[in-house]
Amino acid sequence: MGNRGKSPEHTGKGYDSVPGDMFFEVAPRFVRGRHSASSTAGSVQSQLLEWKNFLRRKAANTLFHPPLWILRYLIIHWKCETGIVKGALLEGQLMISIEALSSKRLPNSLHCAITIASTGNIYGGLVFKKFLQEIQSVLPRFSAKLTWASEEGDHSQDTSSVTPFQVIFKADESPQSLKKDCLIIKQFLRKVIIVHQKLKFNFHLTVNGIRSAEIFGAEKEPTLRLSSGITLVVGFQHYVSKPKLNSTESYCSRIHPVLGHPALLSIPDGTADMGLLGELTLTPAAALCPSPKVFSSQLNRISSLYIFLYGPLGLPLISDQEQPSTTVFRDTSYFIDSKKHNLFMVPTLDLNLDTDLVLPDVSYQVESNEGNQSQDMDSQGPALLLFLFVDFHDGFPVQQVEIWGLHTLLTAHLSAILSESRSTVQDSIQSAVDQVLERHHQAAQAHQRLQGSLSVAVSSIMSVLTGSTCSSFRNTCLQALEAADTQEFGTKLHKIFYDTLQHQLLHHCSCDTEQHPVPQKRHSTQSTENWHENIGPESLGGKAPGLWVNPGLKAEK
Amino acid sequence: MAFAPAGPEASFFDALERHRAALLAAEKRGAGESPAGAARARPASSSEVLTSIENIIQDIIKSLARNEVPAFTIDNRSRWENITFEDSVGLQLIPQCTTRKIKSDSPKSVKKFALILKILSMIYKLVQSNTYATKRDIFYTNSQLFGNQASVDNIIDDISCMLKVPRRSLHVLSTSKGLIAGNLRYVEEDGTRVQCTCSATATAVPSNIQGIRNLITDAKFLLIVEKDATFQRLLDDNFCSRMSPCIMVTGKGIPDLNTRLLVKKLWDTFHIPVFTLVDADPHGIEILCVYKYGSMSMSFEAHSLTVPTIRWLGLLPSDIQRLNIPKDSLIPLTKHDQRKLDSILKRPYITYQPLWRKELEMMADSKMKAEIQALTFLSADYLSRVYLPNKLRFGGWI
Repeated sequence: MGNRGKSPEHTGKGYDSVPGDMFFEVAPRFVRGRHSASSTAGSVQSQLLEWKNFLRRKAANTLFHPPLWILRYLIIHWKCETGIVKGALLEGQLMISIEALSSKRLPNSLHCAITIASTGNIYGGLVFKKFLQEIQSVLPRFSAKLTWASEEGDHSQDTSSVTPFQVIFKADESPQSLKKDCLIIKQFLRKVIIVHQKLKFNFHLTVNGIRSAEIFGAEKEPTLRLSSGITLVVGFQHYVSKPKLNSTESYCSRIHPVLGHPALLSIPDGTADMGLLGELTLTPAAALCPSPKVFSSQLNRISSLYIFLYGPLGLPLISDQEQPSTTVFRDTSYFIDSKKHNLFMVPTLDLNLDTDLVLPDVSYQVESNEGNQSQDMDSQGPALLLFLFVDFHDGFPVQQVEIWGLHTLLTAHLSAILSESRSTVQDSIQSAVDQVLERHHQAAQAHQRLQGSLSVAVSSIMSVLTGSTCSSFRNTCLQALEAADTQEFGTKLHKIFYDTLQHQLLHHCSCDTEQHPVPQKRHSTQSTENWHENIGPESLGGKAPGLWVNPGLKAEK
Repeated sequence: MAFAPAGPEASFFDALERHRAALLAAEKRGAGESPAGAARARPASSSEVLTSIENIIQDIIKSLARNEVPAFTIDNRSRWENITFEDSVGLQLIPQCTTRKIKSDSPKSVKKFALILKILSMIYKLVQSNTYATKRDIFYTNSQLFGNQASVDNIIDDISCMLKVPRRSLHVLSTSKGLIAGNLRYVEEDGTRVQCTCSATATAVPSNIQGIRNLITDAKFLLIVEKDATFQRLLDDNFCSRMSPCIMVTGKGIPDLNTRLLVKKLWDTFHIPVFTLVDADPHGIEILCVYKYGSMSMSFEAHSLTVPTIRWLGLLPSDIQRLNIPKDSLIPLTKHDQRKLDSILKRPYITYQPLWRKELEMMADSKMKAEIQALTFLSADYLSRVYLPNKLRFGGWI
């Protein structure tokens, strides 16, 4: 792992049970940020109890918690310590390696060694001793070995900015649990890279000598910079399966998020002392996926709603793929006005983790008005994606402890916070969703108008042709389309007219760079085309202004 | 030929006769001089129209066969940059005017493209079956498809301009709303004999002007009246009898195509002086200009619609001052009036009408307008008994 010099090794106890008191020692360090211990002791204690209960609920699957904890910690640390400005992307590469061997002690069990290491010079100022103490307190029952290196061999408080590191811990798992935990870890990585495109993760799994590897990264993918500072990967293939081949021309390769206005969050009494954490906002971004092109024939009804939850610094909030069994997420009216859009949704359970797609944190399926999920209800229709970003209201905080504290708070109390802030958040979310669905509706209407116009044009031509007594005119027309008679001519005319127009109109979607370049034509009535001015494969530089939703306003160029 | 009780004595029409003589002399001098290269819509036979439409369809099919998107090329007939002015004709479309494309692959124009094809196919059927329909009839064949009457009207005019044939050659008639009264009789295409009289019920302008024949009149002048109310007033006052022999026509505001065609036909047939009686306001003057010089939108048919020899008889802004019409009978110009007045002053034909310019500037300075009805302050029948007879007798036209 590129260690230079002697590295201290720290070994903890072996893992054999649920670390119910995992956060007990570390929590006070985070909560006691800017205030005296005495003033916050009461709220801290209640907070700790809450966290313990929260963790105990996750007792069934815990192997994934340490790596996800460590990854979150590292990302937060990078941002804070390296002083990267808000909106700039974090860069770096990490390796997560799991080596599993059949356990000699426990039947049907694998002894796993999980290694998280940096593969390049990515760190700045990570105080490894502090990190080690914290990881020890978080994972007291894990076997943990921390290795690192420096040029002078000084391992104490070296905060040089180019210090690679490695942490190893061990656990025993059943093969089924290991498989599921790997899927959960990979899902977390997928969720991270769609917001942190310059982070790269190498995931290796070796089970009894059989090795598999996967790389998670999105550096060269098209992105969209939202005015909130978040940059989102917009390639649709991350979110839904590729449409059928014969309809690929009808869909844009990118999603086109619409940003809602930030909504201030109200924190329920007793949840936490918000003086420590400042004001919070939730900013939604909605998009259809895949996004049908204007005049596409594939303008099916929405089939599902996927919600992705992110906390500060664009870190996923929920990582274990369990649907938050909380009131706010059972109430679909929170996210979408069902009556207005004639979309009635039911929660989707048991999402299949074994997929290359980024799985939503909350998922709903559209059902018909009769209440059953009929196959006629456009199961191939696009999904409505809803990204919810929670962050500090007053900009990028300096204290790592504040970010970490907020993540923990949100993880434990997300539903309560959303319930407390229902009116403002609902208004923000629904305005973004309304705009996306309205565009979809307008696109469907535009397609209907096109179809109608084509019908009129074809029938008019047929009327003249069939009524004409001029044989040379009739023969010329029939020969031009290689038709034997007027009936065949009519069929061919409709097809060739439709194909020609579709081909031209679908190529007007300028963001689809896979298509051959077509002269850009401006259609002032199609506001969707204006969107594409903002999109480019590059992700940095603040070139594209954010896409705020404001009634009556179009995306800026 | 006896029509109505005899009007004024012969000397009454001396000024008119002199005016007519001057017009005829000018007409002779200008005969055969056709403005070079002006775009004209010439009457076309049915087979020519059918062939033109078939050629358009053929071009569309060939475009599609080449996987090219078909489009129509339409003259921009309502842009000043494409209009030229000829004093002997009026406003005309220039031959090499700018055009616009109605594309089938543009979301903005695909519907219009389809509607043009639809109306072309309907015209094809009309011509082929030798039947006629008005623009209104066409609209009501599928009002939901067409949306509104104006859309149909515009497309029909565009087709007329595109094929370079007058609308009547397309077998699309405009609905007549005008009225005629006075010393005139003719036979319509179907053989109906029409005798216009000076009775309280005037005769409607026929819808097929091209088809009327055997026009007979001994009228000394033709008076075009802007408003129906004024027209009816004159009828009630027996104006046609008292000023006999004469003809009166009204288009009830902005004239329809048939009323304009009738006025043109009467001039071409009889070369009698034509005068207009309009309100002393920008709208009335605009109507006068339409009869005399034509409109932008129909400039491609100017030769068959305009009567450049028309004179402005009244109500002149200078008459308001001369007759001391009180201020409370006048109406202030609105902003819309001001804009229209400014627009008229900038038109090319005003240069050829210095007396008109003077009248218009008078109106602009006073910022006031007057309707013909303002004359009633002098007496109820002042218009028919004093104002018009004096104007006609003493040459009070410009």
